[in-house]
Amino acid sequence: MLFRMIKGVLFHQKGKMLLIAITIALGASLATGMLNVVMDVEDKVNKELKNYGANITVKPKDVSLLSDIYDTGENGEALNAAYLREDELGKLKTIFWAFNIVDFTPFLDTQVALPDGSSAQVVGTWFNHHLALPTGEELDAGVVGMRSWWEITDGRWLDEADADAGNEIMVGALLAEEKRWTVGETVALTGPEGALDAKIVGIYDAGGDEDSQIFATLDAVQALTDRDGKVTSIEVSALTTPDNDLARRAARNPAALTSRDYETWYCTAYVSAICYQIQEVITGSVASAVRQVAESEGTILDKTKLLMILITALSLIGSALGISNLVTASVMERAQEIGLLKAIGAKDRSITGVVMTEILITALLGFAAGYFMGFGFAQLIGRSVFGSAVEMNPTVIPIVAGLIALVTIAGSIPAIRMVLRLKPAEVLHGGH
Amino acid sequence: MTKRRMFLRMITASLLRRRSRMLIALLSIGIGATILAGLVTIYYDVPRQMRAQMRSYGANMLLMPADGETLTEARLEETLSRFPEETLVGAAPYRYVRLDMTSRQQSFTTAGTDFDAVQKTSPYFSVEGAYPAASREILVGKEIAETIGVKVGSEMELTWQPTAVAEGDASADWVPGAMLSGSAEGWSGGSVSISATLGEDGKIAEITVDASTQTAEFGGRAQTDEAFLNQFVGKSLPLRLTNVTDENAGAGIRTAMSAAPEGSDEVDALTGATVTSSAIVNALNGARTASAASQPRTMKYTVSGILVTGGEEEGYIFMALSDLEALTGEDRLDVAELSVSAEEDQLNAYAEGITEEDNGVTARLVKRVTKSETAVLGKLQALVFLVTVVVLLLTMICVSTTMMAVVSERRREIGLRKALGASDNSIRGEFLGEGIFLGTLGGVLGAVLGFVFAQVVSVNVFGSSITFQPLLLPVTVLVSVAIAAVSCLAPIKRAMAIDPALVLKGE
Repeated sequence: MLFRMIKGVLFHQKGKMLLIAITIALGASLATGMLNVVMDVEDKVNKELKNYGANITVKPKDVSLLSDIYDTGENGEALNAAYLREDELGKLKTIFWAFNIVDFTPFLDTQVALPDGSSAQVVGTWFNHHLALPTGEELDAGVVGMRSWWEITDGRWLDEADADAGNEIMVGALLAEEKRWTVGETVALTGPEGALDAKIVGIYDAGGDEDSQIFATLDAVQALTDRDGKVTSIEVSALTTPDNDLARRAARNPAALTSRDYETWYCTAYVSAICYQIQEVITGSVASAVRQVAESEGTILDKTKLLMILITALSLIGSALGISNLVTASVMERAQEIGLLKAIGAKDRSITGVVMTEILITALLGFAAGYFMGFGFAQLIGRSVFGSAVEMNPTVIPIVAGLIALVTIAGSIPAIRMVLRLKPAEVLHGGH
Repeated sequence: MTKRRMFLRMITASLLRRRSRMLIALLSIGIGATILAGLVTIYYDVPRQMRAQMRSYGANMLLMPADGETLTEARLEETLSRFPEETLVGAAPYRYVRLDMTSRQQSFTTAGTDFDAVQKTSPYFSVEGAYPAASREILVGKEIAETIGVKVGSEMELTWQPTAVAEGDASADWVPGAMLSGSAEGWSGGSVSISATLGEDGKIAEITVDASTQTAEFGGRAQTDEAFLNQFVGKSLPLRLTNVTDENAGAGIRTAMSAAPEGSDEVDALTGATVTSSAIVNALNGARTASAASQPRTMKYTVSGILVTGGEEEGYIFMALSDLEALTGEDRLDVAELSVSAEEDQLNAYAEGITEEDNGVTARLVKRVTKSETAVLGKLQALVFLVTVVVLLLTMICVSTTMMAVVSERRREIGLRKALGASDNSIRGEFLGEGIFLGTLGGVLGAVLGFVFAQVVSVNVFGSSITFQPLLLPVTVLVSVAIAAVSCLAPIKRAMAIDPALVLKGE
């Protein structure tokens, strides 16, 4: 009997129930979409912030920055130079937080003599260096990804896949202007241990010191300086979690942490934890966070996340109120029907049961439809804003389901109670 | 009873009698309007607020001296006045010199700057200890601190070596037997020159004056007057001129009277030759300054903090610009870092304006910061935009379904009125009136609540308040009214299309 009554309502009062189902579906899709976006927004914005370049620099332990401090030798090198090993760079992708290492590039620089007698700084680096890791992973790392703000004013990026890449260079806009160099020209560079007839393939405007430098492949500079397999520094771009108290304590001295704190710290993508892990795999290195990037990243991420959480909260409250509102309205609308049931002797409890079951079934259908709609909205936002899919978080399902159930029950119970309190005769008579 | 009064009465009666249902409708419109007003306010405010947050990435514009020009603090001030006050977050002047730490035979790049401004332009600087507050306090980069082992509170002696020592001046110092020579303008433009020898103690041991250009019976006496000349012996420079009888003291005399600080040694002016006396004092002081400027100078500084940045700044020492000027005696800047809160196009316009003005200053943008900021802000704004659109769309549909439910419930009433002979238009009019009333009330309510919500968001997320957009109030009300009216009409139309008898029968 109960089943028949419910079926009756669902099929005969299609219009009304459809309205409720639509509203619940809308509310559920809003909640699903927003929750998924808010849970993934940190990751997405973090990737966008990689525009600002490296947030970690790795230098040899003994000479970190000393060439900046001490008077440097004739050819602009630190007197007691120490180096990192190029062949260890692949190990960056083997650390605990390997997936968070977005990009990295090594540097080796030297002063070269130019044909006109002046000198210039040549930076050897990777451009789009293809790495095949022992793990089977393949990736392209280098400055192409880490200097997103460079404007190529003429020519193109140096492409390491070219057969002739070793003889190609890119020149900073200021230097090119001063020397009146153009793309396609060949310049003779004389390094401390070798010479190179380099062809200019691109001129860039970096808006900084790099505008008066020359960029060449790492191999070329290693040949110019006879430093095979050596690099002076590595820039790493990593996705990190904003620092908190624990991270700040750990950054000072990881050894001072309790073993439990240490584990938490090591297994969280704090910039200090990633630095620590890099030091573990690169021999004789000191990895330090570039505060300009790392600190600001934290600020922006925290703010964006909080903003999205508040917007989500508003839309959740909005959809919750909207749903419970409609459910209340639909129950009150059925005052006559409930009055009739009561008049023919139905118990309050069974009436509540029937009405609630109807509404909950409708809500379930609405939720199912809404979840997939919300999925669509989240993907729409992810694709059009960040150009990548928003990860669907399974925890969203119980949250939204619980929310819908709570809101529907909270919206219908008081209304049913109110209607039941009315005298059947009055309700049926039509007086309000 | 006029038609209009009847109309009003029907609406109010319906609203009052159906309190609970109307409350539901009002609540629903209110929620929609709140979300509309709140999200739109946030959407318009986010770029401004986020841009302010983005300034934590540091300077986005550099001011440098144009070719062959020098950048002074005065010139910098003048250039900064181009920026509206609210867009200029901070402007830190920098002067870089190399200072020697003689005790360790090392030299360090030292930056003179303004620490208040640095904290605004480079908020990511982290200082163990404190920023220098008093003079002769310095910040030492972490790398240097680790290499030479200084801590907060340590003292460091830094020496400035002038790069170009003028020829012939090299011996002129208050080392024993050093010679000072100079000249200054005396009476009626004639030049008075002096030469003095400094004793073992750095004080004047001997002085000769050439005042041959001065009137013999007045200024000329300064060359020979023993009593006047003897008072210079045994005094240290700089000197102050006292006992001036001339009431109409000219510029030269005023300089001689005030150039040296309080407590300096004093000499009395020669009676009747005040102008000549002042020229002698000025020439001596000038010779001392010229000689001192070319000498290495050493001062002792206290380390007030260790600077941690993870960048090349860790290899620098920072001190207040005034301290560096006291050490080097030069008022000159190498670069000024500006943190300007503006869009990239606007920044470009500022930079071009400054460079074109030809005030000896060129401006460059820090591409890394400006380009990335534009990219990231663009994404964030697009994100908030899409979220706003989706949320608004869904909320508005939600509002109209609720309104529809509330209206379709009154099908019986519509049928009854129709049966009693009411025209379609009058019924429609009444429902529309109700809808407009609810829309207006809900809209106003929502606009206020939405603003409150936006304010809460802004204060919590960005720590600053939002200004109320007056235009948003009518827009919110209009949208609410439109939605309420549209969602009323559809069910009424359906109700009226059916035969009244059927509706009344309850089918």
